[in-house]
Amino acid sequence: MDLNRPASPLQSQNNAATPRNRKGLAAATAIAAAALILSACGGGAAPQGAEQAAAADPASGANASGAVNICGVKDASGIYKGTAEAFTKANGKVTAKYTEIGATTDEARTQIVQRLEGKSTECDLFVTDVIWTSEFASQGWLLDQTKLVEANKDRLIPSTVETTKYQDKYWGSPFFTNAGLIYYQKDKVAKPESWQQLYAEAAKAPGNGYVYQGKQYEGLTVNFLEMLYSAGGEVLNEQGDVKIDSKETRDVLNFMSDGLKSGSADRAVLTYNEDPARLAYESGDFGYQRNWPHVYRLLNATPLASSFAVAPLPAWEGGKASGVLGGWNLAISAHSTNQAGAVAFIDFATTPDWQKHVAMDYSQAPVNEAAYSDPAVLQKMPFATELLASVKGAKPRPISPVYPQISQAIYKNVYAVLSGTASMEEAVQKMAEEITTAKASF
Amino acid sequence: MAIKTIPPSRTSGRDRAERKLAFRMTAPSLVIMALVAAVPIGYAIWLSLNQYSVRTAGLSRFVGLDNYIAALTSNEWWAAFGQTFLFAGLSVSLELILGTAMALLLNLAFKGRSVLRTVVLLPYAIITVVSAITWQTMFQPNMGLVTNVLSTLGLPGGDVVWLGEHGYAMAVIVMADVWKTTPFAALIILAGLQVISAETYEAAELDGASKWQTFVNITLPLLRPAIVLAAIFRTMDALRVFDLPFVLTRGANGTESMSMLAYTQLRENRLVGEGSALSILTFLTVMVVSVIYVRFAGGNIRDVAKEEQ
Repeated sequence: MDLNRPASPLQSQNNAATPRNRKGLAAATAIAAAALILSACGGGAAPQGAEQAAAADPASGANASGAVNICGVKDASGIYKGTAEAFTKANGKVTAKYTEIGATTDEARTQIVQRLEGKSTECDLFVTDVIWTSEFASQGWLLDQTKLVEANKDRLIPSTVETTKYQDKYWGSPFFTNAGLIYYQKDKVAKPESWQQLYAEAAKAPGNGYVYQGKQYEGLTVNFLEMLYSAGGEVLNEQGDVKIDSKETRDVLNFMSDGLKSGSADRAVLTYNEDPARLAYESGDFGYQRNWPHVYRLLNATPLASSFAVAPLPAWEGGKASGVLGGWNLAISAHSTNQAGAVAFIDFATTPDWQKHVAMDYSQAPVNEAAYSDPAVLQKMPFATELLASVKGAKPRPISPVYPQISQAIYKNVYAVLSGTASMEEAVQKMAEEITTAKASF
Repeated sequence: MAIKTIPPSRTSGRDRAERKLAFRMTAPSLVIMALVAAVPIGYAIWLSLNQYSVRTAGLSRFVGLDNYIAALTSNEWWAAFGQTFLFAGLSVSLELILGTAMALLLNLAFKGRSVLRTVVLLPYAIITVVSAITWQTMFQPNMGLVTNVLSTLGLPGGDVVWLGEHGYAMAVIVMADVWKTTPFAALIILAGLQVISAETYEAAELDGASKWQTFVNITLPLLRPAIVLAAIFRTMDALRVFDLPFVLTRGANGTESMSMLAYTQLRENRLVGEGSALSILTFLTVMVVSVIYVRFAGGNIRDVAKEEQ
């Protein structure tokens, strides 16, 4: 965004330090002092930062006792409370409880940020969206879980662990994951192998169309990145340089906007987030739908139950399929008063046995690979094989403490191209500029 | 409306003592007012003069007016500014016209009037976010009530993606606002209507004035203070609009309002300085508009009040 400009106030203060401007200097000093006092009221001295963060000890969980408080978003499926209860029963020495601190994902984030900024000791563990990791870790708010993750690594799917990474350390343990899937009407359209083939099939007949999440919000970033990643493009490279201004970005943007013009996708997708897309698909007027795994259960309760099938996200023609990971991690607060208890809880939540319950009892995607081939899981989640393929091929969204701004730069400009208010070239340049500015604001 | 001030030359000792007493008695409430209103605004102004980056969370650097300059030289601010005024202009004028009509209707003597008055207020009682979601559902392509009815009847608009294009999206946002707050405008105007004495109308009737003449020459001028009051309330509200565009479009298709811009910077991006500057700019815009209203239209309130006396 143009509004974020790295300012240089220190410079201007230095300029004021000429003899003629003593008064100005005095005033500036007074103001600076006041600023320090105010900021001290607001939360203390300089943040620790990720460099000095304390680390969680994997061995500590064994001797843990006391109470552990886990905080996060409203528990719609009951998975958090259920896990806390099962843990308390199995562990015997540590009691865990789940506290809902926000009704929506956005609200939960605000609440968590407030607690962390205020060094609150209320919560020992936070359930964090995969896109929050870098921001929280960069502030020194979380306990470094590198050793813990390494101790548990053999039971975790590598791509899910990547979502907890910031500056070569792990700041959380994955709890359950999420990846996009394609739902298709098997009697009308073919199983999608590539995006090009999906779009071509979708344009063949009026009832074959493709619905996805094209509204101006985080979901559009995800839909766009899924296609960009499979086309071999990226937003930031390993070193964190901005790489969005590329041929791949242009190809994908052209492809998506042509898809709207040719009727592969209905223009109505410009107003769809997850739920409207699902509802439109349930009308039976479409051939393909991109959505999350939870839609499987809902679609099974409609007249389409017998006619739909599930596929992993397709590849870009001639390439390899690659989606974007969603899901939730368990992060230990740097201010937790029972870090050992938190470690014990994480140990329990990521066991292969409990991960099977994550799938069977709560229809969420496990972070343990073996769970996907378990017969009991397959019975409840017959698309587990497709889901595992999507999860294993998926990559995290751009890793940066200013991810919200980067995502805005992506969805606003992609939307502008799709809705026809900006040219493709203009949008690519603006996207690159805005991401660069956002990065500079950190 | 006019506040009488006593010239200092005529103040006697007793007056002074009384004033002191008055000051002492009002002091506690003045302090509370200052705490409630002035402190948060003052703090917001202070925040807006600083830069808080995500990296230095909690620590600020004094940057003077940099945040304001950045906002005032950005396209985002001016786009939001223009769109907010477009929205306010359209919705407030529609609300005043419809509100006056509704008030006139409710002022007629007929059976079940009190029931109707309550029913009419219902939309205003619904939480804005809820009504926004309802409007969003109604205009959903393919399955929304409005789009379905239009396409079934073969009318234009059935195949339009209402919330996917600027003009249409703005139209839905304005309609949703008009639907919700016209009853509020009507209520204020109705109160104004009931103050007009029946004798005035009787006199007009004796003079042989037509219905239209009575409306234009008597009702409308006497209603002016009420209409102006409704206009001030509604304009101030409309310029701060947040929930309708936030739910309906998330600011897509050029429907981002000034408040939404401030929200994004403050809450989503945690850019406290920039966000505070945007909030203060929004606040100043609303204040300037209100002052203009009171300065130009408020004169009418005073004139009419004098005439009535």
